[in-house]
Amino acid sequence: AAPAPTPLTEYKPDCLKPTEWAFVMAAVARLIPSDGDGPGAIETRVPVFIDKQLAGDFGKASDWYMVGPYEPAASPLRGWQTPLNPLEIYQQAIPVFDDWCKATHGKIFAELDAATQDKALTSLQKDEMKIKPELREFFGILLANTKEGYFADPMYGGNHGMAAWKYIGFPGARGSYKEWVGKHNVKYPLGPVSISGERG
Amino acid sequence: MARTEKKKDVVLVGFGWTGAIMGIELANEGLEVLALERGHDQATVPDFQYPEMIDELKYGIRYGMMEKPANTTVTIRRSLDETALPYRSLGTFLLGTGVGGAGTHWNGLNWRPMQSEYHLKSYVTEKFGAGVMTEDMTIQNYPVTYDELEPFFDRFEKVAGISGQAGNVKGKIVEGGNPFEAPRSDDYPMPAMPSTWDGVKFRDAAKAAGYHPFPSPGGIASKDYVNEYNMQMGPCNHCGFCERYGCYNYSKSSPQTAIIDALKRKKNFEYRVNSEVLRVEKAADGKTVTGVTYFDHKTGEEVFQPADLVILTAFALNNVHLMLVSGIGQPYDPVTNEGVVGRNYAYQITGGYTLFFKDENFNPFIGTGANGFCIDDFGIDNIDFAKEGFIGGAYWRAGQTNGQPGHTMALPAGTPSWGAGWKKGIGEWYGHSMNIGAHGSVMSYRGHYLDLDPTYKDRHGRPMMRMTYNWHPNEIRQTQFMKSKMEPLAKSMNPTTLQEGFKKEGAMFDVRPYQTTHNTGGTVTGSDPKTSVLNRYLQSWDCHNLFVMGANVFPQNTQYNPTGMVGGLAYWAVHHIRKDYLPNPRPLV
Amino acid sequence: MKTFFRIIGTLVVLGVVALLAFIFVPVQRTGPVTQLAADFKPAKGQGEYVMRAGDCMACHTSEGGKPFAGGRAINSPMGVIYTTNITPDKETGIGTWSLDDFRAALYDGVDKEGHHLYPAMPYDSYRKLSEEDVVALYDYFMKEVQPVKAEVPETKLAFPFNMRFGLRAWNWLALGDAGFKPDASEDAMFNRGAYLVEGAAHCAACHSPRNLMMMSSGTNAKDAAFLSGGEIDGFTAPDLRGPQSGPQQWTTEQLAEYLLTARNAHSSATGEMALAIRDSLQYLTKDDAMAIATYLRKIGAGKGAAPVAEKAEVTPTQTLLTDAKPDMPLGPRLYLDNCAACHIVNGKGAGETFPALDGNSLVTAKSAKGLISVILHGAELPSTERRPMKLRMQGYDDRLSDEEVATLATFLRDGWHNKAPAVTAAEVKAVRDEAHH
Repeated sequence: AAPAPTPLTEYKPDCLKPTEWAFVMAAVARLIPSDGDGPGAIETRVPVFIDKQLAGDFGKASDWYMVGPYEPAASPLRGWQTPLNPLEIYQQAIPVFDDWCKATHGKIFAELDAATQDKALTSLQKDEMKIKPELREFFGILLANTKEGYFADPMYGGNHGMAAWKYIGFPGARGSYKEWVGKHNVKYPLGPVSISGERG
Repeated sequence: MARTEKKKDVVLVGFGWTGAIMGIELANEGLEVLALERGHDQATVPDFQYPEMIDELKYGIRYGMMEKPANTTVTIRRSLDETALPYRSLGTFLLGTGVGGAGTHWNGLNWRPMQSEYHLKSYVTEKFGAGVMTEDMTIQNYPVTYDELEPFFDRFEKVAGISGQAGNVKGKIVEGGNPFEAPRSDDYPMPAMPSTWDGVKFRDAAKAAGYHPFPSPGGIASKDYVNEYNMQMGPCNHCGFCERYGCYNYSKSSPQTAIIDALKRKKNFEYRVNSEVLRVEKAADGKTVTGVTYFDHKTGEEVFQPADLVILTAFALNNVHLMLVSGIGQPYDPVTNEGVVGRNYAYQITGGYTLFFKDENFNPFIGTGANGFCIDDFGIDNIDFAKEGFIGGAYWRAGQTNGQPGHTMALPAGTPSWGAGWKKGIGEWYGHSMNIGAHGSVMSYRGHYLDLDPTYKDRHGRPMMRMTYNWHPNEIRQTQFMKSKMEPLAKSMNPTTLQEGFKKEGAMFDVRPYQTTHNTGGTVTGSDPKTSVLNRYLQSWDCHNLFVMGANVFPQNTQYNPTGMVGGLAYWAVHHIRKDYLPNPRPLV
Repeated sequence: MKTFFRIIGTLVVLGVVALLAFIFVPVQRTGPVTQLAADFKPAKGQGEYVMRAGDCMACHTSEGGKPFAGGRAINSPMGVIYTTNITPDKETGIGTWSLDDFRAALYDGVDKEGHHLYPAMPYDSYRKLSEEDVVALYDYFMKEVQPVKAEVPETKLAFPFNMRFGLRAWNWLALGDAGFKPDASEDAMFNRGAYLVEGAAHCAACHSPRNLMMMSSGTNAKDAAFLSGGEIDGFTAPDLRGPQSGPQQWTTEQLAEYLLTARNAHSSATGEMALAIRDSLQYLTKDDAMAIATYLRKIGAGKGAAPVAEKAEVTPTQTLLTDAKPDMPLGPRLYLDNCAACHIVNGKGAGETFPALDGNSLVTAKSAKGLISVILHGAELPSTERRPMKLRMQGYDDRLSDEEVATLATFLRDGWHNKAPAVTAAEVKAVRDEAHH
């Protein structure tokens, strides 16, 4: 068995600053909560995934065409049009959202109780604070990255112990089902395998 | 000019499906052939190898195999009066790069167009009257007939290695196949693939409704296979990582499985990677081209590569861009309706139903790119345009391609997008739903075209290509028609619940979700140089030693995925290059 | 620590015998086995063809070096032997050699000066070449090969192996008569196959066991040990004649296919055999490959009879794998997680693309080194004219631990119809370590 990973409270983020880390920890814990069936974002170490993605090519938008002129206020249907890359969006939007939480609910997001956090996230999703267009993508990427981290191969830092795969019944990186194509309407019984060969 | 390379007989711009086909056929002719490929070299092992390849985050979500917009992209606007904005991050279509091109990460769905699609303009006007066309519609006939192309469709299917069930062999209808397909000279080279539960359920319901279901034809090997070039495939195991991924299993038709190792053995063939063609160079008199200039990313130099024959095989959008930046052919002007390069750009319209079955198990991770069953009962040949009020058609398919949870997770309407409700939803519904899709034709219109963007430049300082495109009422009517027909069929299957996804009136082109990479037109083939860029042999009207391959030659889009037609046309064109052009280089028409 | 350990097992006797031989007997050279007509001219391409059949280029060309200019290092137990420059260069090659000199190297293993060559040069097989082929080969080297001026490193073996006269003793015992004797009771095709196998293609160099003197057992099918399996560098070169052997289980066509393309519906060639096909056998004509196949199947347990068709049946192994029960043992689980995609739960693979593992001689070989090596490092088939695809299997050295590879290999060797002993993690480690050198 692999050695236990660093506890999230002791994890040293690659790029997130302490306040950003605190926000991400708090936000993903609401986006995929831990109670009820199935693992939450915290047990699956989604914050680590997000930190690593933001520290890497995704955070830097290395693959994207990021040359101006920019029209951040264009219709959302026209895709990513902000001059900021995802990391910058997190860096700039978290303080804005925290300020809004403080003004509206009296505390920064991470310090609110769960119910208020849910309310605040809903407001963010609905853009009730009319965030500036450059930061418009914030809730969208936050939620997308959270789900990505929940479902991606564990080597990216999230989906710890393949827990999300086990929960829904996805066999991971097996990719070999010839003998099962014809077994119609029978649930496939075998647990997942990860890219590194971890078995679940 | 930094460097000039030794002259070649033929230079191919791009080394994907069409580049590989032209390459092997012309190399077999004994010519010195050079393929220039902008991307990297790649082979099944190590580049698509198990298990590294089947990584949803890297390839399915971050698009690891695709050309990065940072390197190449387009700008997009929905109408002439909008300012085009760059397509900065990938969404609606995905461009291939590297050896094999998009032929490495396609789904393999392989079709020949329906019979009316080859002479659509005549078919419409003769059968229903020109009045059924909208005023701005610019559809045309192909300058070549199905009968002329049939041997080449057959050839491409056998080279690529397509699995399927014939429906019409030489006019004889074959039980279990597509009775509406154009008559084929021979069966598919491999039997059809087995289907998962969702496809079988659809087949049974369609049959019960009086439709004519048949297994989806695809470049997915149902057995071990050896093609005419002695290249091999192994049987697909429904790995569920097909589209967006290279096949680690030697099972998906690709230039790699069908052509490349055989081609590499030829001493008169050479390919250079990381070599991005910037433009085709014209001779002083503009009657011929002299070769191409490319950027060698390894040395950082521009290189002039002289050649007697230049063939663009760089994928539809890139081929059009190259024609525009090279100044070959008059660019299209939508205001005057004059000019040809960039004209008749079209796309694909899709829609469908998702059906949820609480107590059934679909094992959604078992899938292939071309899984399941189809019907062509609402194909373009079977629609009364006058009665229904649109021109077009669609084929329907049910067959899961993958169960990758990060980007393929159907949840019933009303499930929250996050929080406890979402988590409950994925636990309850993953593996308990299926989809039926309609894949519809798109006509060409005066307002849909490609030209050079006035503002944005690519990394070589060339103007980017600008795409002007939006959903047209004709296609909205077509897709809404499909919805009206699909709903009763879906309900007949008694799902726990179901939901639809069809475009409605007023729908605007949204670049964010993936739709298809079926970009067509821009340098269309035709019989009149005023309305086409290429003659029937895909030869440039302007420069006779320039040929252009790809879906960019389609006068309008068909109701099918393009590659079967692209491959057939490539074999057709190269046959005529070998037989008619090489012995006597000249304009063939 | 490097070893300071020296070879043991040579006896003083060797020195004495060699010394006497050296002192009293002049070097003997074998003349032509047939007298050719004065105007004999080899057919166009014949010399190159014999060269391919004999695989001269592979040994006499160094990594990245000019063809035939020698300098390839051949590791032998006694030290490194460098192959010589056999281009027609007059100074550093064999440009000044007469036909007789050349024949003596092929037949007797002696160079122009009469020094003995190390049997790394397989003259014990080339001794069977016909005079026509010797002349064709000579002609090819003298006229078609580009002369290259290149000195090769001198071969310096440790004492006593640097005493080349010691080879004389070996030659006396190891070399039979020169020339090939056709078997009159067999047809021309069989005899053509025999001529190639025993002569130019030197199959026995790997596929025959060695006796105490390190000589191949027998030089033809009369000896039951001939081609009954050998070992090379720790890998098994399988038996080609026994009832369970590949050639005897396959059709003659399939066997020829294997020799020409490194693959057939049952198996694929790896390691040394893949190289022999890449460099030599793929260049044979279909007829010659069929001749070899005919000969091999005739001298085998099947006596050339068509192989019995396989029974279609579901083995317990296949059932276990198909059921995919979570509580299955680790071996089959590893197979499902890593291999079944291509080699299929029935262990039969797929046609010429994915080799069968059930009944595959590499899987059940005496030495598991080949199997372990493929699991760890994968394998690649050479591109051949009839099958141009460089089919390649990926390696699993990053994904599987020594224990896992051992468990998986043990499962394979005992799965379906296979019956071969278990593999230990230590064996896997040894193969893994070797790759890191």
